[in-house]
Amino acid sequence: MSAAAGTEPLLRAEGACFGYGGKTVIAGVDLEVHPGELLGIVGPNGSGKTTLFRGLLGLIPPLAGRLRRSRAAVGYVPQREELDAVYPLTVQEIVHMGGYGRLEGWRRFWRAPGREERARVSRCLEAVGMAFAAKSPFAALSGGQRQRVLIARALMTEPRLLVLDEPTAGVDRVAAREVLELIGAMNRERGIAVLIVAHQLDQIRDFVPEVLLVMDGRVRRGPSQELLAPERLDDLYGVARPLVGG
Amino acid sequence: MDGLTWGEVFDFFGFAIAATLIAGIVCPLVGTFLLVRRTGFYGIALPQFAATGVAFGFAILPWWQETIGLGIESSDLAAGEHIGLNYHLFWASLFTFGALAALLLGRGRGTETARVAAGFAVASALTILFAHSSPVGDVFVHELLRGEILAIGLHEFDTLAVVLGVVLLAVVVAHRDLVLVSYDRESAVVLGKRVWAWELLLQVITGASIATGVMTVGPVLLFGLLVIPPFAARSLARSMTGLFVLASALGVLAALGGLAISFELDWPLGPAVVLAGALLLVPARVIGRLCKSH
Repeated sequence: MSAAAGTEPLLRAEGACFGYGGKTVIAGVDLEVHPGELLGIVGPNGSGKTTLFRGLLGLIPPLAGRLRRSRAAVGYVPQREELDAVYPLTVQEIVHMGGYGRLEGWRRFWRAPGREERARVSRCLEAVGMAFAAKSPFAALSGGQRQRVLIARALMTEPRLLVLDEPTAGVDRVAAREVLELIGAMNRERGIAVLIVAHQLDQIRDFVPEVLLVMDGRVRRGPSQELLAPERLDDLYGVARPLVGG
Repeated sequence: MDGLTWGEVFDFFGFAIAATLIAGIVCPLVGTFLLVRRTGFYGIALPQFAATGVAFGFAILPWWQETIGLGIESSDLAAGEHIGLNYHLFWASLFTFGALAALLLGRGRGTETARVAAGFAVASALTILFAHSSPVGDVFVHELLRGEILAIGLHEFDTLAVVLGVVLLAVVVAHRDLVLVSYDRESAVVLGKRVWAWELLLQVITGASIATGVMTVGPVLLFGLLVIPPFAARSLARSMTGLFVLASALGVLAALGGLAISFELDWPLGPAVVLAGALLLVPARVIGRLCKSH
């Protein structure tokens, strides 16, 4: 899906540099993400994908340059391995978290879900095909199911931009395809822009029209079929690794 | 209890019983956060640091009276008068929050468990040494460490009730946000939460509960109520809300069981409550496994 000409970008980076402790990892990031776009972030291990991703999300401030995010809601889907299974959270409780930023008035402090909020949780779970598991423990679900629940949580913010961190990592190929189909449907049917950090290069090449390739501290944007063409991967990654990249 | 009816027990030890029950309701809620944040060992170490603070206060008391004064008399401290309790609380809070800040600043450096264990060992030794160096403090700290809380007075009870009441209110009102920032910090930032403010609230809740608890119901009872009920509840809970409710309910059960054991066998109350809590662990694990298999 191409950038919607003339629309205000949801995300704009101008000469942005991101890093930690004053040390730059990624420099000179110039990019815009428009409504309805579908973009992948790829790159070898240690290239700075995660730094770029965290920077664009606002989790780390830019060391230089500018980053502007529209006030439109951002839905964030973290890596599910980072979520500790010691919390006995149910699927409902997880999805309800996504609505915490929207609540106003006294509900900002008292977050007991009202009838309207519970209905929203149900709608978001239905949208990802997980309504049947509403009362199940989140930790008891399969990898693909947990990913769907986290997408449902992101939908609670009514996002115009959905940002996903390796949503198919550690998921079998069938479940991974289903998760990507679900993300694609959100993009097509709801016009939600999607920014997705990807690990499985063969999957992402066929899934997104454009990618941000992170290498050597720089970001390059281009068509996925071109930048991730099998014959180019050896050069890009320095080793023969046609399918899976870090 | 020799020669006393239960009615007389309630008349004589009403404050101690009420304080134990309040601690039984609130401390497991604080302990639940320690458990899920995988900092359960803080529940052992921090009360010990608070006790060290109290002992330190006794150790420097002669110097304090001479240099600063503020009307503190040894008898105030021994009798649990207001000014004496406030003096104790100051040192308990200072040591608790100091230790908490040091532990949190050092998190993520890979040796957290060892640092907490070393801190606990040093704090335990210092508590005894500080108490030993003050003739007034030796008896008081010894009773504190043994969990002899039956002589709790009105002011101590008031202090505990107010502090733990505020903590209870804060947990009830803010527990979902506190769970969010503990469970998924990055998502909380993206959702626009002031994560540092919620983290600070959680540390203040933890420190205030422990400092006040040590000064009133003692470190032994605190160890037990912070750690055991949430651990037992984790086996049974099927939701996060359920974990909070069950932890608190098991805390009350442990408190009631401990009171019964203490009065029937004439044992110190603090250890009796911990023992009662420990006895709840086995059925909780068994029931939890049975529920899971079904």
